[in-house]
Amino acid sequence: MAGGGVFMTDERTVIAVIFGGRSVEHDVSILTGLQFLDALDQSRYRGLPVYVDLDGQWWTGEALRRRERYPLDAGTREALQPVTLPVGVPVRRRPVLLAPSRGLLGRRITEIPFDLMVPAIHGSHGEDGSLQGLLSFAGVPYAGCRPFGAAATMDKHVTKGILRDRGVAVLPHLLVERPGAGRFLEPDTLERMLAEQLGADPYPVIVKPRRLGSSVGVAPAADRDALMAALLAAFRLDDAALVEPMVGDLVEYNIAVMRRDGAVVTSAIERPLKARDVLDFKAKYLAGGKPAGPKLDTLPGEGMVAQSREIDPKELSAAQETLIREAAVEAFETFDLAGSVRVDFLADGGSGEIWLNEINTIPGSFAFFLWQAAATPLSFTALASHLVEEGLRLSARDRATADPRLADAQIFRRD
Amino acid sequence: MTEQRWHRHPLPHGDGPVPTLVWLHGWGQTGASLLPLAGLLAPRSHALVFDLPGFGRTPMLAPDAGTADYADALAAEIAGKERVVLVGHSFGARIALQFAARYPTRVAALVLIAGAGLRRERSRVWRFRAYGLKTLGRLARVLDRLVGSDLHVRYRRRFGSADYRRAGALRGTFLKAVNEDLGALAQAVHVPALLIYGREDRETPPEIGARFAALMPGAELHVLEGFGHLDILGRGAYQCEHLIARFLERHAR
Repeated sequence: MAGGGVFMTDERTVIAVIFGGRSVEHDVSILTGLQFLDALDQSRYRGLPVYVDLDGQWWTGEALRRRERYPLDAGTREALQPVTLPVGVPVRRRPVLLAPSRGLLGRRITEIPFDLMVPAIHGSHGEDGSLQGLLSFAGVPYAGCRPFGAAATMDKHVTKGILRDRGVAVLPHLLVERPGAGRFLEPDTLERMLAEQLGADPYPVIVKPRRLGSSVGVAPAADRDALMAALLAAFRLDDAALVEPMVGDLVEYNIAVMRRDGAVVTSAIERPLKARDVLDFKAKYLAGGKPAGPKLDTLPGEGMVAQSREIDPKELSAAQETLIREAAVEAFETFDLAGSVRVDFLADGGSGEIWLNEINTIPGSFAFFLWQAAATPLSFTALASHLVEEGLRLSARDRATADPRLADAQIFRRD
Repeated sequence: MTEQRWHRHPLPHGDGPVPTLVWLHGWGQTGASLLPLAGLLAPRSHALVFDLPGFGRTPMLAPDAGTADYADALAAEIAGKERVVLVGHSFGARIALQFAARYPTRVAALVLIAGAGLRRERSRVWRFRAYGLKTLGRLARVLDRLVGSDLHVRYRRRFGSADYRRAGALRGTFLKAVNEDLGALAQAVHVPALLIYGREDRETPPEIGARFAALMPGAELHVLEGFGHLDILGRGAYQCEHLIARFLERHAR
């Protein structure tokens, strides 16, 4: 009865998967988190669901594992434990979540130990380096990118600027900041700056909030009035926006990147089948009215069975494929990334030009379907194991350099 | 033997010498229920995902066909294929076991997911209640015959299981299947077997898997936490894929 599943003394590594979060991508993040828990190799790891609700409260409990329980009703909440993460405790200890409960002797606090946290929160407060910073500071081992890579790649302006300098093809753009209180966008100034960056006849253009992912707030504009409206809409979501030329005959390509055995490797390439001219949030995630869009699988094998994406599209020439793979690897290395990172490209179907568009350090479903279809296929379970082991390694490295004596930085005597 | 072929759900398959996986679905399902998992394993196998006779788009066998008849029909359907790996879910596991017992040389390995085939161990209270209900059913039938009433129809509606009520023309097959015990037969199956059960499964609980594992010399049992009878094929597909892939590496090369 190998791996009989009866774990009398459970010595498996406990993996806390944190999902939900204070982000417009809250719901998508729930699916990603639950998929990861489902995929986690049960013979090696025990999954611990940690759900962050829209208010920012953390919860744990087995009821969280069921997709059909969301949004949580009062009954389900009743069965959950609110938990907190202690910060400012010795980092050498095994990390714990604290769960307050009311016993016979008044309030007591139960400790729920774990070994590694897997951030599965897309977008703000999860993918942007803030959660990674918190976990680094608290000495909690975690999977995926470290704070710098997560934060830098969340900012489209910074990402494109740095990659452009390194010779990666990106579209030109104009950064427009939200005017201060009582001030307004000056259309003439805007037009002039636009002409400087995008040429004399810039329209149609596309407006993207500076930091939000997942096409949230992305809007096309065919003329000056539409541009002003799109910017105002974007400023409700972010304090700056990028204006880029609209790519004619737009085709998107995505690829995933990770570091395996020291080398940076790439996955299969997908062309998500587009539902509309501009992929807005609904088209991206809710194609057909149910959450099974091109970039997110709700069921395993859908990538194989349902045709929401084309894997290794035939129209890509060898040169284009090489460009995509090399740019993706360059981006991964430039920002010192980790985990399973999806790099998205825009292409002009007519001219065949390709530009790197954005980097997702916590992509939907961890982009497992791209690894599944890779030249060396990787199952979701194997991918999950890789993310866990890499996270443990990276965090052990982060923690290794704390003693002033080792760094020859001792001022006070310690005996 | 008619020439009627079984309906097959097409899947791409792997190149080179890959094992042939024959997928046998559960009661009330079709081959579609196995596609998420079969799809995950497709690149590493040659997958034959069927609708079993009487389900989906495959015509039924004789009205009272038992699981042995299904196994014989399968043998004809996959004639010429040797050393196959049979993957059976629930009722499909019964057919897989029957096939392995009747055509041992044609089977390389078995994968039984939430496999049925052993009588449930029931409490005394449950057995007492079942006995009472059975007697009531017989009584209804006798009364119907005597006075022309429709008590037995009402009895079935009230007490028959959902599967039984929906079985329709397959009722004979259903009754034969649920009343058979494949314990002795399983003992005679010596090919490597992977048994996967969901901890939350109420229809074929892990207890059945443990008894199969004790009976079958070549069996290894895995109980997956957090999955039930059906979602083990959906949400649980990654876990099953992982276990099956490792099993195949060991036994189907």
